[in-house]
Amino acid sequence: MDCDRIESALRSSRADYVEFRSERRQVTRIVYQGRRLETVDTTIDEGGIVRALVRGGGWGISTFNSLDNLEHRFDQAYESARVVQADPISLAPVAFAHDEIRATLGTDFRQVPLAQKKELIESYNDILLSFGRIADTQAVYMDEFVTMTYGNSEGAFIVEERPMVTVGLVATAREGSNVQRAADGLSVPAGYEQVLGMEETARKVAQRAVDLLSAETVVGGVHPVVCDPKLAGVFIHEAFGHLSEADFVYANPQAQEMMVLGRRFGRDILTVVDDGTLPGMRGTHRYDDEGTPTRRTELVRQGVLTGRLHSRETAERMGEIVTGNARATGYRYPPIVRMTNTFIECGETPFEQMISGIKLGVYACDAIGGQTMLENFSFSAGYGYMIRNGHIAEMVKDVVLSGNLFSTLQKIDAIGNDLTFSHFGMCGKGQGGGLPVSTGSPHVRIQDVVIGGR
Amino acid sequence: MQDILAALRGKTEQAEVYSLEEESTLVSFEANVMKSARVEQKQGTALRGVVKGRLGFTAAGGNMAKEELINNLLASAQYGDEVPISFPSASTGPQVTTYDPTLGDVPFSRLVEIGREIIAVLLEADADAKIGVDIERGLTQWSLCNSAGTQARQQKTSFSVSISVERVRGDDVLLIYDWVNGISLTDAYREAMRHLATKIELAKKSASLAAGRMPVLFSPVGGLVLALPIMQATDGKSVQRGISPMSDKLGQTIFDRKMTLWDDPTLAGRPGSGSHDGEGVPCRRKALIQQGTCNSFLYDLKTAALMGTQSTGNGARGLFSPPYPSPSNLVMEAGKSSLTEIMADIKHGLLVEFALGLGQGNTISGAFSNTLGLAYVIEGGEIVGRVKDVSIAGNIYEHLREVAGVSQESDWVYGQIKMPYILLPELNVTCKG
Repeated sequence: MDCDRIESALRSSRADYVEFRSERRQVTRIVYQGRRLETVDTTIDEGGIVRALVRGGGWGISTFNSLDNLEHRFDQAYESARVVQADPISLAPVAFAHDEIRATLGTDFRQVPLAQKKELIESYNDILLSFGRIADTQAVYMDEFVTMTYGNSEGAFIVEERPMVTVGLVATAREGSNVQRAADGLSVPAGYEQVLGMEETARKVAQRAVDLLSAETVVGGVHPVVCDPKLAGVFIHEAFGHLSEADFVYANPQAQEMMVLGRRFGRDILTVVDDGTLPGMRGTHRYDDEGTPTRRTELVRQGVLTGRLHSRETAERMGEIVTGNARATGYRYPPIVRMTNTFIECGETPFEQMISGIKLGVYACDAIGGQTMLENFSFSAGYGYMIRNGHIAEMVKDVVLSGNLFSTLQKIDAIGNDLTFSHFGMCGKGQGGGLPVSTGSPHVRIQDVVIGGR
Repeated sequence: MQDILAALRGKTEQAEVYSLEEESTLVSFEANVMKSARVEQKQGTALRGVVKGRLGFTAAGGNMAKEELINNLLASAQYGDEVPISFPSASTGPQVTTYDPTLGDVPFSRLVEIGREIIAVLLEADADAKIGVDIERGLTQWSLCNSAGTQARQQKTSFSVSISVERVRGDDVLLIYDWVNGISLTDAYREAMRHLATKIELAKKSASLAAGRMPVLFSPVGGLVLALPIMQATDGKSVQRGISPMSDKLGQTIFDRKMTLWDDPTLAGRPGSGSHDGEGVPCRRKALIQQGTCNSFLYDLKTAALMGTQSTGNGARGLFSPPYPSPSNLVMEAGKSSLTEIMADIKHGLLVEFALGLGQGNTISGAFSNTLGLAYVIEGGEIVGRVKDVSIAGNIYEHLREVAGVSQESDWVYGQIKMPYILLPELNVTCKG
């Protein structure tokens, strides 16, 4: 993007505040489905957004593919802002940044020949298919290189390259009408070298799908549950993290009361953090999509609510510190309050000790989905095992955990010493497509969880 | 477009150029107040081509150099899927209205009024509620030409209103939403608004329930629990991949005779309607399930070619992905009894209004296990109150074999599928005491 053109448009806008963001996104995808090479393609998307704020008005937004007539887009955003009759909106102050962030990649995937990428994903797919009773697979290689340009009328100007390389593996095993799936993958803002050597991942995925064919559906009931780091990480993102996003509370006094800082949410062992600065993670950036530097925010410290996530608007409105959590899924959307990398801090209980006292319980692993209705949540584990007399016993399937968030957090009574991050997450809040996030947690034991089943 | 097609002649055995243009205006209200207005412009081009029997694809948004686009297509085709696909020649499809020229004339202020009206009505139902409304008006134009001579063009208007209601009382949260769409500005949003107001009212009273097997009534929205596995199983892609439990069931009766599901692209005024699909194949109405019998699957050109059959005119497409089979408008056929009659037969049961975790489990296998976001207890044919922390579980291939009732009343769910109320005679309900 032409820096002078953008800065001149930013200067000449009549809006009280205006910002511009553009993206050029080049994506290469290779998809195997079963034995079939479904698609190998490269797509390119380019476009921008102008967001304007007018005193006595509200937010006016213009999104577009054609970057030809920028002044017209700035006018459109300004005119839109004028017709909005909103409550007064102001933004928390942020020191404006002038920065250029170039991607540092081990092996730049843009230089790797397509044939080599195809061979790599084909080799993983072949591993999946080499297991008997695997009826279908999906093996996806994807790399994405985004060049983002951001500027605002307060003087910020940031150019950032955002790379992402992904391998996703799904195996479907079938025996008559019994159809079982397992999946895993890796997606990180890094070079091609990160997705090499995933043969073991492929073997585990295929083996798990096959094993699930002979697993029984878990018997429903109320049980102590040990969640593996993957499931616990998704749980803390979905069930708790979203309540920490200030756009949920800032305009709702009742919700503020529910999420009042200082309220106890769990025992002393529970600390929950969102940190957009952790190197190499999916939610990591130097600045958010409003040009605010990212940071580490403790949401829960020793069981007590201590912080929440903000955009400039919500921070100003609530008189709290701006945290750099305004993120957008792409140039079609304005930034909203989102998580970055969210995790439960490491605890002290070794896994063996955690399960040793459980007579009858469930070890729930991996998350294939989770939905919350604020205080109510429902999570589907990818697979699980019964815990019998302190030992891991038979594999079970269709493990769905549900319950009330507040009572469930209080019932976390052991946190492992094995914090592990998972780099595959997409957060689907509000806007089209998903936003990359990482989630993390040690093993976590929760008492009295409702397990759905027969 | 024609120039790209001409440039591809000689380089490909078959070629297709698809171009998309969209404009929309969106007005957003957040927490009962107007918040933003957005104007969106979108354009792009997608190409497919067959080279040495291999199918390639590429797409670009914005203004992209023709040469780069063509090079990306040829690179893709080099590794493309070997598939015996034939792009269709020109044909006529059903006449159906998808464009309302008056929608563009609706003033911005009218969109704002609609938002205000909805918020006022819902605040009357509960003064503490926080209401979000998105009102969007759009115009989509796509055109398609291919080397077999098809030159299709479609113009669609769309008008949609989505409403969310959030009510927090202590640690008690009610979160409900609805979404209506059409090609014109109609009164449909008022119906959604009234439904939400009723839900708020009914949720004010709480009730308790003992776990066990009981009759379970699914509202149109709640019924997605049952419809979703059917939608996945009738998707030609699942059939072609051999993972659909229905793949070998064509002609067999697998559900109760009260169950009939249509894919109907000929409904006037529905955004899913059209004369041709995104690959230029004429659209047509067909039953997926006819009186409980597995009748048809949905195919696009590619899945049909791989299955050795014809496309059913269900090739949907976004700009950045190759076409895929997708329903147009789904309609679950309404039944003979009224909702009141069906309810009257329930001595003690559950009404499912909204289920969490849709599509999360092993949906393709027919299994469902859902926590309920909004559910009511029915006693002696009457709703007595909202019950929380309740889950249901089962498998449609077992539980839809006997359906106790299907209502005359039906409703569009999220603009996609029209659903009646469906009563299952017995389902396992888990509760947390």
